[in-house]
Amino acid sequence: MKRRLVVILLASVLVLSLIAGCSGGSQQQAAPKEEPKPQTIKIGAILPLTGSAASTGVKLKYAIEVAQEIINNPHPEINLPLAKDAGLPNLKGAKVEFVFADHQANPEVAKSEAERLIQNEKVVGLIGCYHSSATKPASQVAERFQIPFVAGSSSSAALTERGLKWFTRIAPNDDMETKFFFDYLKYLNEKFNAGIKTVAVVYIDNEYGVHAFQMVDKWIKEYEKDGFKVVLDVKYPTNVSNVDTEVQKIKQAKPDAIFHASYIGDMTQFVKKYKELGVVPKAVLCYCGGFQDPQFVVNLGKDADYFSGSNACTSTLFGKMDALNKINELYKKKSGVDIDGPTLEDFASAMVIADAINQAGSTDPNKILDALKTKTFDAPYFVSGKIKFGPTGQNDFSASVMVQLQNGKYEAVWPEQFKTADPKPAFPKWEAR
Amino acid sequence: MYVVIGVLPFIIQNTNFHHVMVIFLIFAAVGEAWNIITGFAGQTSFGHAAFFGIGAYTSSVLFWKFKINPWAGMLAGAVLATVTAAIVSYPAFRLKGHYFAIATLAVAEIIQQLVVSWDYVEGATGISIPVVADGFLNLQFHKSKIPYFIIAYVLFGVVLLISYLVENSKLGYYLKAIRESSDAAEAMGIDHALYKLIAMMISAFLTAIFGSLYAQYILYIDPFMVFSMNISMKIVLLVVLGGIGTIMGPVIGAAILIPLSEYTRILFGGTGKGIDLIIFGMLVVLVACYQPHGIVGMLRRMSLLKVSATKGGGATHAGRNAVS
Repeated sequence: MKRRLVVILLASVLVLSLIAGCSGGSQQQAAPKEEPKPQTIKIGAILPLTGSAASTGVKLKYAIEVAQEIINNPHPEINLPLAKDAGLPNLKGAKVEFVFADHQANPEVAKSEAERLIQNEKVVGLIGCYHSSATKPASQVAERFQIPFVAGSSSSAALTERGLKWFTRIAPNDDMETKFFFDYLKYLNEKFNAGIKTVAVVYIDNEYGVHAFQMVDKWIKEYEKDGFKVVLDVKYPTNVSNVDTEVQKIKQAKPDAIFHASYIGDMTQFVKKYKELGVVPKAVLCYCGGFQDPQFVVNLGKDADYFSGSNACTSTLFGKMDALNKINELYKKKSGVDIDGPTLEDFASAMVIADAINQAGSTDPNKILDALKTKTFDAPYFVSGKIKFGPTGQNDFSASVMVQLQNGKYEAVWPEQFKTADPKPAFPKWEAR
Repeated sequence: MYVVIGVLPFIIQNTNFHHVMVIFLIFAAVGEAWNIITGFAGQTSFGHAAFFGIGAYTSSVLFWKFKINPWAGMLAGAVLATVTAAIVSYPAFRLKGHYFAIATLAVAEIIQQLVVSWDYVEGATGISIPVVADGFLNLQFHKSKIPYFIIAYVLFGVVLLISYLVENSKLGYYLKAIRESSDAAEAMGIDHALYKLIAMMISAFLTAIFGSLYAQYILYIDPFMVFSMNISMKIVLLVVLGGIGTIMGPVIGAAILIPLSEYTRILFGGTGKGIDLIIFGMLVVLVACYQPHGIVGMLRRMSLLKVSATKGGGATHAGRNAVS
């Protein structure tokens, strides 16, 4: 009996997979019959919906669904391109459908899903993939099939250094972030007399961390004239379980500022160890990573205060920016939490590709690419207010604000026109918190 | 069956299906390679990702840094993997049973960590293999997956042949004797260290070849992709599912496991609820619980039951012999 059960299960799964294969085939055959101006325009979204970053992937999916909702239904209350009417006005109100695929944080899967979305689902554009390592092969596929790819939050600078024609990226890369960090330190020195001179870089040993460090190495040459000096760099393994030796080194070097490229788990360990060993820098600036995750505050409570980092958005900005606030209302209904920086960037990628299709007035990939590369897109949900892709495909407008945790809240502290609170340019003693 | 596999992609003209077929062939072949050391010789290796990764990295680095032809790189990778296998296995073969399995696992993890922190091969960033002109010589095809399929198919055929030859040679009998009882085998005058080493080297050589092919197929590799425990586990899983110690086992296992993981992901992956992984996991648990000898074992028992129904009696005994 049990054996029969197994046989039946096996057989049903096999049949299921065969059906999947066949239905893919029939779709492919049906495609050429489509009208030149279709009613529904498909765009592929490749996200980490399972695997280690699944919780983030699901949030990104909600954000893209919000974008789809705003585009396809009339939302005159939101001051956004495509919000007012239903569908894309230049394509007779055609609806946009985002087709989701899961890359499981695996580059091989990202590649095969990109191929499937282009060939079987007939998508006219791709967005994703959150992980830079997945975006790499997926965007190579898009390049080969000549389909535009708009990356939202993948931040490795290497992505836009490959000379790809069909690739664009919204998030500021770590190159721009690093410059942003030094400019902020300069601002602290000038305005608050913070006296920050020495910098330490602490980074995780993967593409994200190593590349961030390379960028510091590059930019420090520019900022040496302002008196900055890198006194220490500490690389730690991805599955680190004890950061004792790392923090000892930092304590000895006594840097004024620490740049962190870390994820949530390791970042939490570092902060606890800083407290234990009494490391009191003036500023800690974090690349887009663990610090930006609201879990950071949940994990550390009061100890999380005074840490800073770059972020595309923070909830304290909602009061200042109406469009962002309205988007957040829709998003919060789905996800139960406020929208965060990377999620907003992926939301933007969905809006921008739809906007480009609308401005091109066509689903012809060449015309969409032309629109992407030449037009400036309104993005009132970003502090920069607009998006414009340069020759490499990088968004020229950095949409970052410097945020600092103050009393458990991510306050925008710089640039001045967006600030919701003054920066605090020095850490107090740990026991004085 | 081999013919059916070869004809299928020409009947179903769907690129995604072709992709599944290529991945299927790669993993079926690697499963066969693993089967030589674990199925025939009984030395459980949880570290075959190491050889797969060495193959992938050697050909990629040689091509990327020195413009050396990927076919030559493939051979170089296979040789390097064989040498690594010999160096690592010789001391490790002193360990028995579980301890040997743990050692292979550790070696694979160590090699992954080394590559992650090795700047010359771009460490954790991974390597994007330069895109060059289409063609058999460059082992890159951009327009269609059929050439990849044909190459994988031919290489897979070679691996099947080697597996068959190994199983039916003196070496194969020695290995099985070692598997059943290494002490008894040694008492019979079989140098068990030597033959296990030979089996491991053959296995590593073949695994690395498909590692290179995989890298050329994806055109991007990073250490977490080719050295990951996922690869090692996938290999183990599909052979165990199909039937360990048999030639058909890895093929059947891969034919079920690879399409299953691909199509459940395509069907349910977009929902973001992980249904594909649930189904996948459930199936593996079911097979592990009810069919420890894999599908080949199940088929054999079923056919033997039929025979015994006509002849009557002795089926259980014969069945046990057939699957052990």
